[in-house]
Amino acid sequence: MVAAAQAGVAHMSRTGVVDRLGQEGARGLVQEFMNNWVALSGDAWLALGGVDDVRRAIAEAAGAMVAERGPGSPRRVVAWATEELAPLDLPGLLTSLGFECVWGTDWSGGAGGEGDPSAAPTARPADAPGATAAALWQRRNLAATSDLGITTCSWAVAETGTIALYASPSAGRLPSLLPTAHVALVRPSQIVRSIPDGLRLLADHRAQRGGLPSAVNLVSGPSRTGDIEGDFAVGVHGPRRAGVIIGEW
Amino acid sequence: MPGVLPPATAPWPERRRRALADPTMRAAVAKTTRNLAQGKASAYASYPPGEAMRVRAVTARRSALAHIDALLEELTGNVEAHGGYVVRAAGPADVGRYVLDIARRRGAERVVKSKSMATEEIALNEQLEAAGLRVRETDLGEYIIQLARERPSHILAPAAHKTRGQIEALFEREAARTGVTPPTCDATPELTAFARRQLREEFLAADVGITGGNFLVAETGTLVLITNEGNGRMTTSLPPVHIAVVGIDKVVATWADLAVLLQQAPLSGTGQLISTYTSFITGPRRPGELDGPEEFHLVLLDNGRHELLGTEYEDVLTCIRCGACLNVCPVFRTIGGQAYGSIYSGPIGVVLTPLLGGLDHAPELPKSACAMCHACRDACPMEIELPRYILKLRRTEIEKSMEPLTVRLTFELWGRLWASPAGYRWTARLARLGQRAFMRKGRLTKAPGLVGGWTATRDSPPVAKETFHEWWRRRKPGSLT
Ligand code: SF4
Repeated sequence: MVAAAQAGVAHMSRTGVVDRLGQEGARGLVQEFMNNWVALSGDAWLALGGVDDVRRAIAEAAGAMVAERGPGSPRRVVAWATEELAPLDLPGLLTSLGFECVWGTDWSGGAGGEGDPSAAPTARPADAPGATAAALWQRRNLAATSDLGITTCSWAVAETGTIALYASPSAGRLPSLLPTAHVALVRPSQIVRSIPDGLRLLADHRAQRGGLPSAVNLVSGPSRTGDIEGDFAVGVHGPRRAGVIIGEW
Repeated sequence: MPGVLPPATAPWPERRRRALADPTMRAAVAKTTRNLAQGKASAYASYPPGEAMRVRAVTARRSALAHIDALLEELTGNVEAHGGYVVRAAGPADVGRYVLDIARRRGAERVVKSKSMATEEIALNEQLEAAGLRVRETDLGEYIIQLARERPSHILAPAAHKTRGQIEALFEREAARTGVTPPTCDATPELTAFARRQLREEFLAADVGITGGNFLVAETGTLVLITNEGNGRMTTSLPPVHIAVVGIDKVVATWADLAVLLQQAPLSGTGQLISTYTSFITGPRRPGELDGPEEFHLVLLDNGRHELLGTEYEDVLTCIRCGACLNVCPVFRTIGGQAYGSIYSGPIGVVLTPLLGGLDHAPELPKSACAMCHACRDACPMEIELPRYILKLRRTEIEKSMEPLTVRLTFELWGRLWASPAGYRWTARLARLGQRAFMRKGRLTKAPGLVGGWTATRDSPPVAKETFHEWWRRRKPGSLT
């Protein structure tokens, strides 16, 4: 599991956007987060001009991070089904870009009404009933054959270039894990300085919801290894490309 | 009860000889350890909060051990409240039985594993394979040495000793065995892509995922798992059953404690500020969730740990398996991890192997695999007194092997003589006279009796022509000659 370093790319060409960040502190954190994410060989886009700007950045990220599959075989995308993503109309955007939206995007409500995401932990769930098991199986195979996963995040850490992903009925573990590329949308206000600062936000979540999510994943760049002669390589298991779009929408 | 560790691969002289005769492995281990040690130094230097957190982390780990029974109880209650199962395992057989019961109940055939020292310590793979299960290691380095049927050469870089040519050959053999396209060349991206394809299949087909754990947080019942490749996330997200086998020593009380600990392993281990993936797992998939395991089992492994609590060796249980002590150890850097014959190598292995497996398990480690340079003590982020422990173990071992009366009397006599200045002077003179017969080119090359043990494998400088005391007595006051 040894890791070595190699830098990714920052896309910050849109002029003037940094000025919209307002106060100095927030701007510093955004800059630091992007720099560190890119240093971990992730990709970063800054899109602070509202919904359209964020949609433009998603299109750009999808184009940059996902190779064409060839004629007649559309690229696949999976996304979280969180309400936060609804205003961006990802299915519309990605279909127009020639992507096939396999889940999340076509799964309005996401949870299928099976349970309350924020409910306190319950007793042991029984084995999933047949229909649900089949649906889960299918969904996971679709995720495994997807090119791109799109999620938001709960917070991000400037110092380390880290995003935090909480599992919930509308926010699965797999869209950020199985596709070849993963892109996460991060709001500037979600960026904190340090890991302990982020963990304090997790503690707040726990206090408000009466418990922790079943899975929280901190992600810092793309999957990496140095296990072959100490040589840096990305994507041995998780995404080969990991992007963040820092935006307001 | 002491624990049980897998037997050594071969006797110590043979392991040592084999290691010293393998220049490729030694060069690879030297390079890996140098890179990791440098990585650690620059990571702490570039990240000032790291050191302050480290100091608090030491306190957090020690205080957790002081309250371990209460914490394990709290942890158990919280895991169960989230729908997970918790079981205590005294040793290897307990874990094997528990995992096999689950596999039988679920009709499971295929198991994927994320790198875990605890499961290597109890040879879980062998136990499961003997029962007919197919077990696949998924950390790239572990996958490589599983295919090669070898033991790891470094805690963090298990396949550090393998060249890309050897890895390509292993992958080609595996491709032929499974009927898939082999890698086209020995370039890193190509080899990595081959492993990705093969292991992706394994993940998707697995019935059970087994992991270790870096920490356990008692106050919420959370398992903390750190990886760079993402195999930990795969193992805990895809198979319908997740079993975590974790040493009882990994428990910490609170999230505030975890906050200062979390970055210490990557900072000290690989020189990263944080690993690529850190997962906090609290129970299985909840109702309504789209993915994640149906069942979550936590196996709390003792295997000799509880017995160390309250002893002078207790602090060894604060180890976070970062590997920093390996990277600075002159012995480890020379012979690599496999020569230790134990799952745990380097200074921590020298201490942990006899402490967990019983003093008879690997007496040669404290006796021979340490040069007493104290570099490990300075490198250890948990401030574990490794050299002091090694000395204690060495003493215990020597005392045991000193049974023969003559040996004991010799040391007794030696001790008495050197307790008085006259006795000391007298033996120095005697040795000076006696050594002539055993010298070659000004070095002592083949000494008799007890000293022969020393000169069998190395020369010794001779007793000086004039001792300091003698010089002091004959020197003119004020003169330096
Ligand atoms: S003994 Fe210390 S330096 Fe060695 S692996 Fe454990 S924590 Fe790291």
